[in-house]
Amino acid sequence: MAYVATRGGEKAIEQAERLFRQDLGPIDAARVDTIRKTMPYLVDRVMGEASLYDEELAALALAQTGGELSEAVLVLRAWRTTQPRLAIARPVQQDEVLTQRRISAAFKDIPGGQILGPTLDYSHRVLATDVLEGKPFTPPPVDSAQAPAPVRQPSLAEWQRQQGLVAPATEPDTAPEDIPDLTREPLLFPASRAHRLQSLARAETGGVLALGYAAMRGYGNAHPTVNELRLGEANVVVRHPRGTEFSAGRVRVSQAEVTSKEKGGYLELGFAATFGWNEVKVIAAATLDLNSAEAPVGSAVHEEFYLYHTESVEASGFCIHFKLPHYVTFQSVLDAMRDAKAKKTAADAAPAETRQMEPAE
Amino acid sequence: MTDTFPPGDTDHRATLDILARARPERLKQHAEILLEEMGEITVIANRTGLVMVPMRDTVQNVDFHLGEVLVSEAHIADEAGNVGYGMVTGRDLERAMAMAVIDLRIAAFGQDTATATLLAEEKAHLAAVDEERMRQVEATRVEMETF
Repeated sequence: MAYVATRGGEKAIEQAERLFRQDLGPIDAARVDTIRKTMPYLVDRVMGEASLYDEELAALALAQTGGELSEAVLVLRAWRTTQPRLAIARPVQQDEVLTQRRISAAFKDIPGGQILGPTLDYSHRVLATDVLEGKPFTPPPVDSAQAPAPVRQPSLAEWQRQQGLVAPATEPDTAPEDIPDLTREPLLFPASRAHRLQSLARAETGGVLALGYAAMRGYGNAHPTVNELRLGEANVVVRHPRGTEFSAGRVRVSQAEVTSKEKGGYLELGFAATFGWNEVKVIAAATLDLNSAEAPVGSAVHEEFYLYHTESVEASGFCIHFKLPHYVTFQSVLDAMRDAKAKKTAADAAPAETRQMEPAE
Repeated sequence: MTDTFPPGDTDHRATLDILARARPERLKQHAEILLEEMGEITVIANRTGLVMVPMRDTVQNVDFHLGEVLVSEAHIADEAGNVGYGMVTGRDLERAMAMAVIDLRIAAFGQDTATATLLAEEKAHLAAVDEERMRQVEATRVEMETF
């Protein structure tokens, strides 16, 4: 092993960091608060990929990285390691989520009905350039209904199970402290379902979308239809020292189920969920889950392929490491290339009768 | 629109649910007042930390970890051995301590009038916020028809 020393590097590194931070300008609490309040979907994305839910810290990470998402996720994940784990909450169940958006593309008459919630799905996407002309955009108020929507909506999959449309499922018997946890054990294949879904929950949105989209376009074996998409808020249910369970607060969550076709007398279903409201991610992730069962090894829908390649910190870290000095290894490539050229030049210059000819086939 | 969870003391659960989501300034002000009348308190823990949140997959009913939530925790006790506990999402140690102080006060002496008023008003406030939001959500309900 050989090394190349770079003189003056320490000063250059210091100035490079200063230049990066100078370009971003001062960061104060007001700036962090503005990011938190005005970019909730971006904050959600960062929290989901960091696997750490705190809007204030996610906004801070965005502020100090200038919105470079892989850096923001990296600093949040790093900060997470400084904190002790105090408890494991009671598992969130779908029909306990305070639901603010719930739609199905497969069934129009679902128990509880369809609620569009906050969405631009059915709107023209037009850039509000008037704002730049000095005309602020003030959103029109919602005409609230007389009665509120139910706080909770039933589980569609459970209703389908009762109708015999979805395969029966056994009641879980895993204690919360025994649930497999990727933050404390390696991802091994074939992955447990708990590992697969946890890995997808913290996966990089763009990566999941790219691979899920590949499956949707035909590079998978199942084309998805959204069975149910749900955005809501889940209670973080913890236990008081006297044993009383209570909610320490709520977190925004997204869930998607996608279905494809009948198999063995039941609808096939794929599932995914994540922190924050990020429906593109969960639809794409559920599509990957749906495709996993019969995926050829090495294909984009095989779990080993998509779980390894959508891990945000590892993927971005491996990518950016190629910027670091590789002079010694690259020098050996150059040496080999120059050696080959020299030999070819020498061979070309030699008299024809001295060349060793290959025998004809 | 109160959330309900098994198991445990129903009144205690309802109180903790309200305290954890009460408006921070009101919570802290009330705890300050209560503190003046309370004896020596031992702080067992007052720290930030993480709570891992599992979720149940609807396809195979498998529990998996969704991710961790940053919380603030306060755990205190008085000389008689009564325990007060607060845990709130986010990074606010004072808020968690205020919750623990009120919880301890109720454990030791029951609910005084001011605390009962605070709980009633915060419960009504939280319910009103939820109701207004869910009335807006209801306005987006759609009936699908097949043509």
